[in-house]
Amino acid sequence: MVFLTLSCLVRSRGPDRHWKVQELLKHARHFRGRKNRCYSLAVRAVRRAFVYATKGRILKKRNMRTLWISRIAAATREHNMKYPALIHNLGKTSVQVNRRILSELAITEPRTFLSLAKLAQARREEGFRAALGDGQEPAGVFSRVMVTH
Amino acid sequence: MSNFSRTAQQWATFARSWFLIDAKMQPPGKIATMCSVRLQGKHKPIYHALSDCGDHVVVMNTRHIAFSGNKWEQKVYSSHTGYPGGFKQVTAAQLHLKDPKAIVKLAVYGMLPRNLLRPNMMQRLHLFAEDELPEDVLANLTEELPQPRDVPRTLSQYTQEERDAFPRLWTPPADYKMK
Repeated sequence: MVFLTLSCLVRSRGPDRHWKVQELLKHARHFRGRKNRCYSLAVRAVRRAFVYATKGRILKKRNMRTLWISRIAAATREHNMKYPALIHNLGKTSVQVNRRILSELAITEPRTFLSLAKLAQARREEGFRAALGDGQEPAGVFSRVMVTH
Repeated sequence: MSNFSRTAQQWATFARSWFLIDAKMQPPGKIATMCSVRLQGKHKPIYHALSDCGDHVVVMNTRHIAFSGNKWEQKVYSSHTGYPGGFKQVTAAQLHLKDPKAIVKLAVYGMLPRNLLRPNMMQRLHLFAEDELPEDVLANLTEELPQPRDVPRTLSQYTQEERDAFPRLWTPPADYKMK
C-alpha cells in the first residue's frame, strides 16, 4: 500500500478487515434482504444460521429414522402385518437389518421385503404356539434342526 | 450445498389410485383415519411428506354414518365468524341435518397435517351423501376398502321366525302388560 500522507497511513487499518468481512459474508450470500451484503446484519444472521445448522444435524438423524419407520410401516401393512410385530419378530429371528436398509428394501426390492415379512410372521405364529403350549413345528419353515437330524 | 446437485430420487409412481369407502353405519373417526392415511400417501413405501404422493378417496353414504354413545346430541362443533358475538356452536345432529358431508369432512380435515399441502389433500377427498356416484368418479375407481365395522341388521331386516327364536334374558309372566 502506498500512502502519500501520514494521515492516510494512520487511518488505514490494513487489508485484513476486508477479507475477514468477505469470509463471513460468504456464508450469508444466499440470505434474503440486506443480510446478504451488510456486515453488521449478516454477522448476527450467520451466527443464528450456524446454531440452526448444529441443531439440525441432530434433528436430521431423528427425522430420517421416523421417515424410515413410516415407510416400513406402510410396506408392512401391505402384507397384513403391523410395524411393531415386524420389527420385534425380526429381532427375535436375529435378522440384523436396520431400518434404513429395510425401508430401501421395501422400495427397491419388494420381494426381499416380503420374504422378511413372512419370516417375521412365521416367528410370530411360532411364539403364539409356544405360548399356547402345543409345541409344534411351524409349517413351511426350514429350520436348522431338520437339516442336522 | 450438496442438496442442489443431488439428482431427484423418484420411482415412477405418479399414478393416483381412487379408493372407495362406504360409510354406511360406520364411525366417522374410523372413516377419517382411513381417508387421511391414503390422502397423505402414508400407505406407500415411497412416502415422503413433501412428495405429494397421496391418492384420491371417495366416501359415499356420509348421510348414514353412525356416532356411538351420545355424540349426536353432545358433540359440539364450534366456529367463530371473526365478528364480535360471532361464536357459533352447533351439535353434531344439527350440523348433520344442515350438511350431511360436514362431519366426515371436518373429521378428515382435523386428521391431516397442518401445512400448505392440506388444501390439496382435501381436494382429493370426494364426499357423497348417498350411494349414487357420478359417472366420472365411477370410471376412476380402482379399489373398494373394507368397512371398519360390520353393518348391524335393523329389526325390520329380521324375519318373524328369527325374532321368535332370539334368546330372551327374561320371560315375562302371562299377565304382564307391555308398555
